[in-house]
Amino acid sequence: MDRNVCIIAGGMSKWGVRDGSQRDFFQEAAKACYEDNPQLNPKDIDGLLVASAYTERTSYQTHLAPLVAEYVGIRPKNICARVELLCASGSSAIILAFALIKSGQADIVMVAGGEKLYTPQKWEVFYSELASVDHDWDGTQGLGLPPPVFAMVAKQHMKQFGTKKEHLGTISVKNRRNSAKNPKAQFQTPVTMEEVMSGRMIVEPLTLYDCCPITDGAAAVILAAEEKAKDLTDKPLVYLRGTGQASVNNMSANMPDWTTWEALKIAAAQAYKKSKVEPKDIDVAMTHDCFTISEIIEMEDLGFCEKGEGGPFVGDGGNDLGGKIPTNTDGGLLGCGHPFGGTGIRQAIEVMKQLRGDAVQQVPNATIGLTHNLSGFIAAHTVLVYGREVA
Amino acid sequence: MTTPGISILQGKYMVTMDLFPQESKEFNQMYPFFDYLKEGRFTTTRCKDCGAEPFPPRLLCPECYATNMEWIDWPTTGTVIDVTEEVVGVPLGFGKPPLIHALIDLQGKRTFFVRIINCQQGELKSGDTVKLAVFDIDPVPQEQGREVVEMPRVFYAFEPAK
Repeated sequence: MDRNVCIIAGGMSKWGVRDGSQRDFFQEAAKACYEDNPQLNPKDIDGLLVASAYTERTSYQTHLAPLVAEYVGIRPKNICARVELLCASGSSAIILAFALIKSGQADIVMVAGGEKLYTPQKWEVFYSELASVDHDWDGTQGLGLPPPVFAMVAKQHMKQFGTKKEHLGTISVKNRRNSAKNPKAQFQTPVTMEEVMSGRMIVEPLTLYDCCPITDGAAAVILAAEEKAKDLTDKPLVYLRGTGQASVNNMSANMPDWTTWEALKIAAAQAYKKSKVEPKDIDVAMTHDCFTISEIIEMEDLGFCEKGEGGPFVGDGGNDLGGKIPTNTDGGLLGCGHPFGGTGIRQAIEVMKQLRGDAVQQVPNATIGLTHNLSGFIAAHTVLVYGREVA
Repeated sequence: MTTPGISILQGKYMVTMDLFPQESKEFNQMYPFFDYLKEGRFTTTRCKDCGAEPFPPRLLCPECYATNMEWIDWPTTGTVIDVTEEVVGVPLGFGKPPLIHALIDLQGKRTFFVRIINCQQGELKSGDTVKLAVFDIDPVPQEQGREVVEMPRVFYAFEPAK
């Protein structure tokens, strides 16, 4: 069996520094997801994949999927499990749901992801984040929180390619402007280039607005086999066309290159090949802007511009609305925030809306969209391609 | 130079909150790395079959999949490629800001992104030499039968070679 797979609903809780618990946010996300598609009876969902990275650390809860199923009122019979790949947990779960449906193991799968990251004392979550990298070898050097890593990436990119601090600032301004129009985003106000350039120093050359925050919140989508999807939605069908996920190293000492992300190039090549598209075919993209420099390198390594040209490309509006590849039209991580397990699902929701034609900041006639996550010490990359037509 | 990370727990040690790895042979087959570290040596494993020198040290050769590994010394000095200084967001256990890191070339073995200690903000530059710095960290109270024995530990960073 090899079936086509559609994304037929999506919704998210309000993201931010939130009052509430992880289980509260999963219920809010499920409610928004159900409301996005009233034709679907949640009782018909036969699979649940839950994406959460820090559930054991900050919510002291493992065996999370049955808990979420119980709270959101579904009774999965084909799969009910959690998926973890830190910042790419959500996208990873979508890939697995895609494979389960494609192969006939399940028909309608909810993918829900989220975190309650803020603890009553914030040091606990920052301390726990030392588990995000190779704990014994990189965490012990104080590299769990990523700003030093991406500061080094930015320094090297600036040195090799002449990328400027203003290029980084362009990304902050664009994504904060976009998030200001997204009521679910953590940041509801735009920032000016002047504010960005005078932001508080974090790790040179990265200042406050170069860095995404950590975030409480959740998001959920529902994927279904095409034949089910046709009965379950009157909205335009959006297909998951193909995916790629690659890892070539984990510990920092084994990074092949700090400014060309080999695993991203591999994951993108796989996703493009399976989706039968090329970079020029992508109309809209949600890429992993954990830091401004990340989005610039992603433009290069996803093939939207030449290597080393990412700075001028974004500086000239190449990845803004109206540009060659509008990117992070919902605000991205810099604007929406980053509850690790929720991010890939948020990206899927925005691409789904863009391809259905009902996004807040709609890219005209968008028919093919892409999502990308990086995770860990830039140690894995995940790329998914969606389209209005099957591959 | 000591690094807290356990003392924050008001005297109650929990492995799940330990910043550092378990270094005793009962909990880590790579314990020789830490024993050598106490002697000021920076080591890894080399595959006797294919000659690969993976880092971190390990049981299984990731190149030829043999388990025929031996311990070898690696250089204890490296050259700074570039430096970062974290002034906001330093995690607990790493002292007061700035938390300094450098990407260093360990004489061609690997580039390591490591913590730099005993160094002032603005002091370290590209091209400088840094050397291995070994320091004591909090011991682990480990059960041995009915006894609880304190297992001493060390860890490493690098520091400017003056």
